[in-house]
Amino acid sequence: MKALTNINASSFSDAVQAAQRARAAGQAVAFSGGGTDLLQQIKDGTDPADVIINLRTVADARTITSDSGGVTLGGLIALSELAADPQVITSLTAIAQAAASVGTPQIRNVATLAGNVTQRPWCWYYRNGFNCYKAGGDECFSVNGENGQHAIFGGGPSYIVHPSDVAPALVAFDARFQVTGPNGERELNAEEFFVLPITNPERENSLAEGELLSAIRIPSVAANTFSTYQKIMDREAWTHAEVGVATVIQRDGNAVNNATVVLSGVAPIPWRVEAVEDFLAGRQINAATASEAGELAVSEAQPLAKNGHKLPMTSAAVERAILSLAAG
Amino acid sequence: MRDKSKPGPSETDSSVNYLDPKAQSRRDFLEGTGAAVVATAAASSLGVGVASAQESSRSARSAISLTVNGVDHSLEVDDRWTLVEVLRDQLDLTGTKIGCNRSECGACTVLMNGQPVYSCSQLAVWADGADVRTVEGLALNGQLSPLQQAFVDNNGPQCGFCTPGQLMTATALLQDNPSPTAAEVQSALVGNLCRCSNYNAIVEAVVAAGDQGGAA
Amino acid sequence: MSQANRRGLDPLSVIGNDTPRVDAIERVTGQAKFTRDWKLPGMLFARVLRSPHPHARIVSVDTSAAAALPGVVSIITHEDAQVVWGAGSINGGRQYNDPTKDATLHRRYIFNNPVRFVGDSVAAVAATDRHIAEQALALIEVEYEQLPFVLEPEEALADGAPQIWPEGNLAPDFRGNLEPMVSDQGDVEAGFDEADQIFETRYETGFIHNAQMEPRCSLASWEGDKLTLYTPSQGISNCRHDTARDLGLMDHQVRIVAQYMGGGFGNKNQNQDADLIAATLSRRAGAPVMLEYSRREDWLGVHGRWPTVQYYKVGVRDDGEITAIQMRAYSGMGPYRKNSGGISGMDYYRCPNRLREIHPVYTNRTTSGNFRAPSEPHGVYGVENMMDDIAYRMGIDPVEFTLQNVRRPTDDRPYTNYSLDEVIEEGAQQFNWSARRRSTPGSDEGPIKRGAGFSFMMFRAGLGTSSAIVRVDANEQYTLYVGVTDIGPGAKTTMGMIAAEALGVPLSQVDVVWGDTDRCPYSVGESGSRTTIMTGYAVVQAAEDLKEQIASRGMPSGAGVLIGSATPVPSTDGKVRQCFGAHFVEVEVDTRIGTTRILKYTTVHESGRIINPTTARDQIRGAVIQGIGQALHENLLYDPRSGQPLTPGYYRARHLTHMDIPEIEVTFIEVDDGYGPFGAKTAGESGIILAPAAVANAIANATGRRMTSLPITRDKILGAMA
Repeated sequence: MKALTNINASSFSDAVQAAQRARAAGQAVAFSGGGTDLLQQIKDGTDPADVIINLRTVADARTITSDSGGVTLGGLIALSELAADPQVITSLTAIAQAAASVGTPQIRNVATLAGNVTQRPWCWYYRNGFNCYKAGGDECFSVNGENGQHAIFGGGPSYIVHPSDVAPALVAFDARFQVTGPNGERELNAEEFFVLPITNPERENSLAEGELLSAIRIPSVAANTFSTYQKIMDREAWTHAEVGVATVIQRDGNAVNNATVVLSGVAPIPWRVEAVEDFLAGRQINAATASEAGELAVSEAQPLAKNGHKLPMTSAAVERAILSLAAG
Repeated sequence: MRDKSKPGPSETDSSVNYLDPKAQSRRDFLEGTGAAVVATAAASSLGVGVASAQESSRSARSAISLTVNGVDHSLEVDDRWTLVEVLRDQLDLTGTKIGCNRSECGACTVLMNGQPVYSCSQLAVWADGADVRTVEGLALNGQLSPLQQAFVDNNGPQCGFCTPGQLMTATALLQDNPSPTAAEVQSALVGNLCRCSNYNAIVEAVVAAGDQGGAA
Repeated sequence: MSQANRRGLDPLSVIGNDTPRVDAIERVTGQAKFTRDWKLPGMLFARVLRSPHPHARIVSVDTSAAAALPGVVSIITHEDAQVVWGAGSINGGRQYNDPTKDATLHRRYIFNNPVRFVGDSVAAVAATDRHIAEQALALIEVEYEQLPFVLEPEEALADGAPQIWPEGNLAPDFRGNLEPMVSDQGDVEAGFDEADQIFETRYETGFIHNAQMEPRCSLASWEGDKLTLYTPSQGISNCRHDTARDLGLMDHQVRIVAQYMGGGFGNKNQNQDADLIAATLSRRAGAPVMLEYSRREDWLGVHGRWPTVQYYKVGVRDDGEITAIQMRAYSGMGPYRKNSGGISGMDYYRCPNRLREIHPVYTNRTTSGNFRAPSEPHGVYGVENMMDDIAYRMGIDPVEFTLQNVRRPTDDRPYTNYSLDEVIEEGAQQFNWSARRRSTPGSDEGPIKRGAGFSFMMFRAGLGTSSAIVRVDANEQYTLYVGVTDIGPGAKTTMGMIAAEALGVPLSQVDVVWGDTDRCPYSVGESGSRTTIMTGYAVVQAAEDLKEQIASRGMPSGAGVLIGSATPVPSTDGKVRQCFGAHFVEVEVDTRIGTTRILKYTTVHESGRIINPTTARDQIRGAVIQGIGQALHENLLYDPRSGQPLTPGYYRARHLTHMDIPEIEVTFIEVDDGYGPFGAKTAGESGIILAPAAVANAIANATGRRMTSLPITRDKILGAMA
């Protein structure tokens, strides 16, 4: 591995200041939560960090707190903690399931919520060192290459898929993303936080240089809200989502009042399918509804040459997710 | 003999004493050599870190403390050293293996504060203050743990390279769940690959250990 | 649990009893010393710089900046280290034949110019620290002139394809002839004339990396003109001989130490370039050198199973009799001829008219070489899917179709024993084949469909020469010296068990000295499933020699010892000796998302007498699981435009995890045919031969769609269902 300097941060503002100092000295800086994927990227040469700001030493960032306005998830909470938290399991089920679906137990024991949401794409071109948009270049090599794992929604000019499982579940619960940076703190909604490549092909979110994701706030959840995260993997564990779907439904009996459906593995950001959400509102959950919703989910898809199989997978995943949330 | 025309360290410097954590700091040795050099375009595509524009062979060093298998260590480590490198190279605990160095295989699994982690993907500095347990810490006074004995009895290892990692993850499982089912074992050990594909026997061994009283 | 089912023979005193490995404690305590666990005083660390291009001429290499990096001790490149790596460049895979090696047309050096695949070695650096060695690689300035490249074997033979060697892209045979490998029996055209129906299908299989958990490494140390290599080798005797030959030394000047090693599956036969690079660097540096490959380097820089394209044409009479089998095939060898490129399976059929034409082809992909049953699983997948497809198209049960057409002993081709029919019938009964298979493939209602598949195999179990020495002292303690390495199957234990049985003593009275060429006699190597039957037979003979001495001279006393030894040249008296197997698998395919799950997997094998049922069982189970991975996931995808590999590594290749694993049922039908050590035959490779074929046949039975390309990934299933 290249030469590195590790700096333990005592607080998020301390971390931000340390990053500013290092950057002023001409060094590339990376914030590290669990660090699992960051170290992989540094070893592979796809992350240029000279200085790692270690956030594990930040006090009070590994907590789950709730108040009348909702639940605040500390950015440094480990995915294993998120997946095992009784409150999250009960009222934010999809988030717990998504956290439990990431990687392996060893990864989840160290990987953090903020790190999962902000991890870089796992596109095999980007990770193999191609000078693509994500690496600061000006080409997406998947377009005329091997694109079986790439985006069927929202692509162009880059066709990566967003790698996070937890992010679509957070989006489905209307999460707010708390950002700490040189200019203090700000809170963004999902539309503000995640960024399509048409806006910025190099990054997946709107974190500015020197900013970090410090916490995530979930607004209060209405009664009779049920949720699920379902993930299709190429093997039984330890892959990113080929296709995933986070679904939150607020219903009376089987009558849907509100539904949120957010896909993973198919778009450069967690992909909300509003056509399905609108369709479901006011309908009964049953096989016919679910099937039609599944078809609707891919009506706007634009597959590349080798990823057309994601369309039937997406339809099936959406259909099954909705049915799994039926009453009784 | 070494080609004396090539710049390099003196004979004694090339002898790395891995067993003495207080051995001469490489940083001390390297400082003052003005080792910043201009990298070239010869980036390897083979997983070798690509040099940044200004690179030296220096890495910062930090003092850390670790408790490993119940023994306290105060160490000075290079910031880029991973936990598994420190265990293997500094503490001579070579039971923990490096299979992929990328969190893909699980051969490097150790328990950190009781939880299985990939020690290839932890910088040693991040483990400062941690309680670490490795495969060398499973047997007590020469007595195999019930899990180790079950691995012996059920042919848990084939080549044995993944075995230390499987044992550590299974040890953590048995502490939480002393009598796991086969499905629970498979789920808990999913982050430990075995290319001999001795998966059936490994699961049978862990289930048998559970039947016999767990990790203890 | 899951002890193997066994029938046919009763256990002997030691042999045939479930026996824990004699070195199990070392393996579960972290005490077992693998190559990278060794530390020698003054040891340097080495890394290899590799080509980022699939095909390029090296115009210049400038190592000055790297050499100036503090801590760097020695750097070698193609300019100053021209060592021929014999085992990497042998025509036709004739690895053990030195005259063939001398005649080889296309030599592979430890560093080559031009470089011919992404991962070809360019330079190596030894430094005081592995990180410094790695940093130094990035400071080596290489100017490349990029050359056109070709990735697909059939394209490589087309007119105008980039030429990887001056003689073209068809790899020469072991005589240096630029001709495909042809095996011709009978008259296929006459056979097709005789047929009522003719079937033609193209099958394709992927590159499968061996992916043993221990990445390649080598520790070289010189004392004067004697080289010691600590290296994970699947054959220390051959590794020593090959290393000596490649470095211009005598055999006795090389010592190979390999006791514990992290698997190989054919990846670590003979000597590897890592051994030669480490030895060369160590000699230049005047210090021991530990050369380490990263996982990615191991994946791309060593070798894996060759990808193939197989065109079959089969003629069948309406009564189900096969009248002709023809295969034209292409094996992608990468740019060097490291092994044969063979494709087996056709020869399992009795059909008198057979024509097999295999083109081993150079490409600019990573090199192909041995992986567990090197020529079999991909060929058996192709031919047995072909036959399964024909059987269903003709409305015949594939098991019946097989039993009608399978090759059996004949007067002019006798076997030591033959159990294929029994193995197939036992498996069909245990599995409940007739109930589990769908007589109309794909007939399950709904999107989740089940089906069953079957495959069978025969695999060589011939005998050959190896050596053993056994000594007894006055305390009646026996020491067995065998040049085996324990790569996982438990050879050390097996050798001890055979010795104990032959000597008539308990296993605890036999120490086994292994894995060191300075201490052990020649052994054939842990490849070709040969250790148990060849070295094991030498152990029996050495024990007999010792027992005769004890009988005539009495037990030694005082400091005396008696030593028995043997280097037998056994024969099977002109008979074919094979092991046999049949696999039956039930799958469930979710045809909406393309997922395949294995529900039941039944295996029946006849591998002669089983020495240690525990380890034999796990050879079968492990091999089956590797074969399932080959069927469903593993491949090495390349970017067609750049020639860059995209999916090296366990994550990208989707290696099976604990949660993907079904329970594998194992039955051994035991037979003592009077040959080999107590009648033992081969077992290590046989399990993998059948699995891809059986799984693919089961998917076809479930879905009603024949999958003609491995791996059977979800995009292929969903494409077929669309």
